[in-house]
Amino acid sequence: MNRAFLAGLVRFAITLAVIGAVLLAVLIPFALPHEHPGTVIAAFLFGPLSSLRHLGNVAEYATPIAFTGLAATVVFRSGLFNLGIESGVFLGGLAATTAALLLPSFGPFTPLVAIVVGAVVGSISCIVPGELRLRWEAPEMVTSLVLNFAILYAGVFFLNYYLRDPAAGSLMSYRIPADAKLDRLLAGTRLNSGAIVALVACLAGGVWLYFTRSGLNLRIVGQGPVFASHLGLPSRRIIMQAQIVGGMIAGMAGAIQVLGLYPRFSWTQLPGLGWTGIIIAILARENPFYVVPAALFLGYLQVGGDFLARDIGIPSEVVGLITAAIMLAVTATAIFQHPAVLRLIRRIRQVEAAR
Amino acid sequence: MTGLLNIVADPATFATVLRVMTPLLIAALGILISDRAGVFNLGMEGMMLTGALVGVLVSAWTGSAWLGLLAAVVAGGLMGALMAFAVNTLGANLIITGIAMNLAASSGTTLGLFFATGDKGMSGALKSGVMPSIDLPLLGSIPVIGPFVSGHNVLTYGALLAVPLVSLMMARTAFGLRIRAVGVDPKAAATVGISVKLIQLKALILSGVLGGIAGAYLSMGYVSWFAQDMTAGRGFIAIAIEVMGMGTAWGTLAATVVIAIAETLAITMQTLGLPNELMQMIPYVVPIVILTIWTARGRAKRAALK
Repeated sequence: MNRAFLAGLVRFAITLAVIGAVLLAVLIPFALPHEHPGTVIAAFLFGPLSSLRHLGNVAEYATPIAFTGLAATVVFRSGLFNLGIESGVFLGGLAATTAALLLPSFGPFTPLVAIVVGAVVGSISCIVPGELRLRWEAPEMVTSLVLNFAILYAGVFFLNYYLRDPAAGSLMSYRIPADAKLDRLLAGTRLNSGAIVALVACLAGGVWLYFTRSGLNLRIVGQGPVFASHLGLPSRRIIMQAQIVGGMIAGMAGAIQVLGLYPRFSWTQLPGLGWTGIIIAILARENPFYVVPAALFLGYLQVGGDFLARDIGIPSEVVGLITAAIMLAVTATAIFQHPAVLRLIRRIRQVEAAR
Repeated sequence: MTGLLNIVADPATFATVLRVMTPLLIAALGILISDRAGVFNLGMEGMMLTGALVGVLVSAWTGSAWLGLLAAVVAGGLMGALMAFAVNTLGANLIITGIAMNLAASSGTTLGLFFATGDKGMSGALKSGVMPSIDLPLLGSIPVIGPFVSGHNVLTYGALLAVPLVSLMMARTAFGLRIRAVGVDPKAAATVGISVKLIQLKALILSGVLGGIAGAYLSMGYVSWFAQDMTAGRGFIAIAIEVMGMGTAWGTLAATVVIAIAETLAITMQTLGLPNELMQMIPYVVPIVILTIWTARGRAKRAALK
């Protein structure tokens, strides 16, 4: 077997063990006061796997966050910590709704047009902080953080004054026309054709990043900016391209979420899918190929949380605690760069080399 | 136009500016201390949220707003210590740790509220305390000025007092010097015998304490209840304020005043019938513009020196 593969397997096994330990460490305190602590943990862990419908729910949750995970991966790979994907999702959903409501129908291509509009408009949220950074050195993390809220309120203004259905009880848009909606794939769930697009997008992203010249250039610019400039790479243009692509993927996430799941656009808060995307990018070690399993895993946790809420009466927010703890644990260098681990990996490599 | 003038000259408008300012200023000072120690506290939003909930729960439970504040201080300090543990002992990434703190606080406070009251949204059913307002004895009786300076929340005075205190601490005490040394160059600081981890732990605890107080003001002064995610991005505005203030306490005060005036303007212009969503954008757009102008000017200056 390949040595690098075996060594990677060690890291993977440790990651799994760490995640398992964190899951139990957070769940057990919530389970203990319950009459049968075992059933609480079983409901969380095995509930999502208990039927095809629940597996469909997992994939349904995973769809938008696979997109935002991919978006975060592309943006972070450029070396910029641009958090604009959070409002990119919001903007993408709003723009896709607007396109579906105001543009004429394009027959079977209506959803496609709406998603493209959502992606293009959504990319603004990442382009602005990126441009401010590249042109004037304004710190992109701070500007994108506050721009998220500025975009949110601008969007709510637009929703209130241009898309609002006065007949609806609360602040929401007119009904999204049926021909703009995405096809449902599985009865009893809201799993839609967006899931397939997400899968293809992540695979394409992985091929781009690891098997094309422009992907290699992006990785060089992100990891070694000085080296990139010695190579004569057009760093500014490459970074900007990553912001545009990342923003467009975030916009697609919002568009597909709204067209696939909701009868109307009704977000009046940031949906939080961008933050989840950051978590996925971290779990996937900024590798697009791993984004799909990472998104499915978080979807699985979310469905597990729904089981807790429905069957046991523990709010599904437990999932947030688990996710936060996992974020810390899987990035902890104390675990993954521990001398014992490094020694083990080295020994595996030497044994293989000796053969 | 006279309507606008009346609003500006009104002590109530001034009081609104101070009310808006208080949590932002306390939180921004907390971020400042962490930033100068080289451990930028992106988890401020979460620390504020935790302080807000703990303050309400403990003050309802004990019947004392001050004990609520004390509990919020302890909770914030603990979160700061946790963050230092994650960064320096576990070796997790600083920014990721901050994001994780925010996520954990958002979920944790919802869970905490649910287990304490059975409600996930608001603490309205709890009889929680409110931090008292103070009428200044002598200053308050001066005509014209009196109504402006007197009668504000005790934490508002505390926040204003914290500005010179933090400034003095950073500039004139050994602890402040060590914080700055660690922030500028941890390796150099370590070679002269400063424990980098200990200083960063203390700085993050202090940062968390201020975050806890800022949160307690939100739920026991700004309003008198806790609501899910009630900080609504104030921790993030505080980050922008700290960066605008260029890492000094007085600069932070100046930046806070600018943002607070922008937000007060937004609140009062809504009463004049302008679209309230667009007005709500103002406090978020102002920092972007100011930050961009400042960094652009800084770059122009550097270019001129070359």
